[in-house]
Amino acid sequence: MADSDEDFVLESSGDERGARTRGSRRQTRQSKKKAPTGAPRREKWEDIQRSWDTVVEAADGSIAGTVIGLLEATKRKRLLRDTTPIQRGIIRHLVLVLDLSSAMNEKDLRPTRFHLTLRYARDFVTEYFEQNPISQLSIVGMHDGLALRISDMGGNPADHLSALQDKAFTQEPKGASSLQNALEMARAELFHTPSHGTREVLLIFGALSSSDPGDIHDTIRSLIEDRIQVRIVGLAAQVAVCRELVMKTNNGDDSGYGVVLDEAHYRELMMAATSPPVTKTQSTSTPSLLMMGFPSRTVETHESLCTCHSNLTKGGYICPRCSAKVCFLPTECPCCGLTLILSTHLARSYHHLFPLKNWVDVPWSEAYLSTHCYSCHIPFPTQPLVSPKSRQQPAGGSSGANGGHGDGKQEDQAPAAAPISQRYACPDCRSHFCIDCDIFAHESLHNCPGCQAVPALMIKERARSTKDARGEPVATSMRTQVAEATKMLEKSKIAPGNSTATSMDIDP
Amino acid sequence: MDNVDGTEHYNLKAPADLPTLQVIILDTNPLAWDSLNRSAHLSFPAALSQLLIYANAHLAFSQSNRAAVIANHIDGAYFLSPAPPGTDTSDPDEANLTPEQQREIAQSNACKYRGFRLLEDEVRAMYRRLIRDTDPKAVEENPETSYLSGALGLALTYINRVCFGGTGGRSNGIPGDERGKVNAAGGQVDDTGRTMHAKILVVSVTPDPAMQYIPVMNSIFAAQRLKVPIDVCKLRETTVFLQQAADATGGVYIEPEAPRGLLQYLMMGFLPDHIARQSLILPTKYDVDFRAACFCHKKVLDIGFVCSICLSIFCEPPQNAVCSTCDTKLDVSSLANIGKPVVALPKKKKKKKALDSLPESGVASAANSPAPIP
Repeated sequence: MADSDEDFVLESSGDERGARTRGSRRQTRQSKKKAPTGAPRREKWEDIQRSWDTVVEAADGSIAGTVIGLLEATKRKRLLRDTTPIQRGIIRHLVLVLDLSSAMNEKDLRPTRFHLTLRYARDFVTEYFEQNPISQLSIVGMHDGLALRISDMGGNPADHLSALQDKAFTQEPKGASSLQNALEMARAELFHTPSHGTREVLLIFGALSSSDPGDIHDTIRSLIEDRIQVRIVGLAAQVAVCRELVMKTNNGDDSGYGVVLDEAHYRELMMAATSPPVTKTQSTSTPSLLMMGFPSRTVETHESLCTCHSNLTKGGYICPRCSAKVCFLPTECPCCGLTLILSTHLARSYHHLFPLKNWVDVPWSEAYLSTHCYSCHIPFPTQPLVSPKSRQQPAGGSSGANGGHGDGKQEDQAPAAAPISQRYACPDCRSHFCIDCDIFAHESLHNCPGCQAVPALMIKERARSTKDARGEPVATSMRTQVAEATKMLEKSKIAPGNSTATSMDIDP
Repeated sequence: MDNVDGTEHYNLKAPADLPTLQVIILDTNPLAWDSLNRSAHLSFPAALSQLLIYANAHLAFSQSNRAAVIANHIDGAYFLSPAPPGTDTSDPDEANLTPEQQREIAQSNACKYRGFRLLEDEVRAMYRRLIRDTDPKAVEENPETSYLSGALGLALTYINRVCFGGTGGRSNGIPGDERGKVNAAGGQVDDTGRTMHAKILVVSVTPDPAMQYIPVMNSIFAAQRLKVPIDVCKLRETTVFLQQAADATGGVYIEPEAPRGLLQYLMMGFLPDHIARQSLILPTKYDVDFRAACFCHKKVLDIGFVCSICLSIFCEPPQNAVCSTCDTKLDVSSLANIGKPVVALPKKKKKKKALDSLPESGVASAANSPAPIP
């Protein structure tokens, strides 16, 4: 740990040119890692991206088209992800480690790192349980050189939220943070978790140093032995030992380590940990059969105590094995230890198993097919009368006042800056949607409204007609991808249509 | 109208003043309605006019209230109102009317509130078009077809557009989105970014679309996330999906005993908005059966075995310990003595002191823990 800090100082000392010390350090290290040693080194801050360079004026001098294009690009960037059905660890056990050391008093994240972290931690807890209804969570703090237990391993979001309120919010960020202590406590908590679930640690690390009682490498080794995966969100700068920790516990993959750029990026990094991790190797978890109870809800005429909180309640769920009454699901029966869940909780995880395909941009050549979004009826823009190519000429002339770059560069940017059709098509049903519906369908609904609202026959027909119409390589690759995905689904026999659909219904 | 003066700005703080969007999902499967007409004497035209009265009553509550109607037809889900932009909303039968009839209609329309008339005309015209474009053969082939998930999907995307300005997804914290930032930072999830409340009413006469289990469930969770209650008026064929939809989203589930009095049920059960509902005892179903059916024998279970990979439910450990859904070899060693807790229990107690030091995995200890005999 100590050596990594010295490393920073040595390197950054030559590179500081009036910029913020912290920022330049981070960039130096990043750029050094990426650049090959022989090539002339180019610092990251040397490649400046000026937002006004990418703006291209339209013929009438307005930049509305470009602005909309940029906005949609940002929105869409978040959406595109791999949609092949992959095995994920649906049953998770995660320890959230929060830094409560004096480094959290820094005000570089508004209002302070500490307050923002706690706020995000609350959001994280809610989101985590929404995404992983049958998973468990525990929260640990790093405070004054010690590991501070905030909440125990459990599946009730309300418990964690109140624990955060009671314990973390009342703490003053103080002292140093100790990676080793926190990791050892997390390891101890995850030690007893069943082998079929994942074991994960999400560490929020604000400090740049760690005061450990022993050798952190021993801890890392034992984490690997216990197959615990660690993800780290750094608030200040990249720290060598963190990277090593993430790489070693994730089979050499350091994508789980991120250093925040700003508040929004911080949230993004943290929320990335809410979706279940992909099962890469068989060794990370052994599949097993779990015994679960599906309790029915009862309404009582008189109040009785629930076994979980000893509250007087009038209704609740009765454990089918021991007939104890619990007031909250999913939970473990406090009496007999049976996992009690609703079948809807299982259904909530299905969208991780069958993700919705990414929708594709619609080129202007096909945009005539639709005038409005299929599902929300918002009108689409019509194709500009002047073709994008000829539009560029006056734009290049008028923006000459900006100066500084030649015409060649303008030509390069032209295709990217051309106004987009703002239509996104589902590869199956070929309906056109707006960007908002695209995001909503992929992030909340997990269905394609078009595919669900038209008969399967018509979808096939549409796919066939487009196949005949154009034999573009892009389309074929997309189709083969889709075919592969469906084949995989059929092979795995968990296609929504055949087994789950009929058998998951519940007796009326 | 409410937006003309500056009061809107202050009203946003009081959630009570937000208008409501009512989305009605109406089954229009002709055969299903016909059998309902035979069993319960409620014909589709009668039901439609009662439903339109209900929609008008909703519109009458506030000038900013809005309504949308979606048809769940035999060959897909369609918007009846608002009609998709660009479609011809004129009544296809209008050309056949005699001048006297036209005058009669015009006279009856003259005294009607414009908002009511627009909605009624649009729904009726679009419905006639829908029926005109329907192949009679297809009707016979699809006696029980339903596109519930598609209709719910359309309703939710429309609500997302109208009530949330398209930001109702989870895209709260994206950079550059000022409103999202407030949302993320301030934690006021409830009324930030929401300009209208919404509720969905499903008037259903068809049985559960069993093939759509996952899409319907996904829609239910999306509605839950948007805090949109799904009310269900089930006229025929009890369903489980819709019961769970109403339960999960906090909506009302009613199975009218006398479907002929549909209007009464609609007005009393479904009309109150979310503010009024807080102080009412809703006529909904409280005891919902959540038991699951196993994948192997379709038996209804209250204790089952779940594959940790694909979450399939089994009534007993599958043969050779291989999950029949995802073909994964499962570890069933921890379940070895699950069938005989009664025998295992006394032995365990006697040996307890001797075995105290033996480590056990979490599942095993849970399974072996003293289980009272039911």
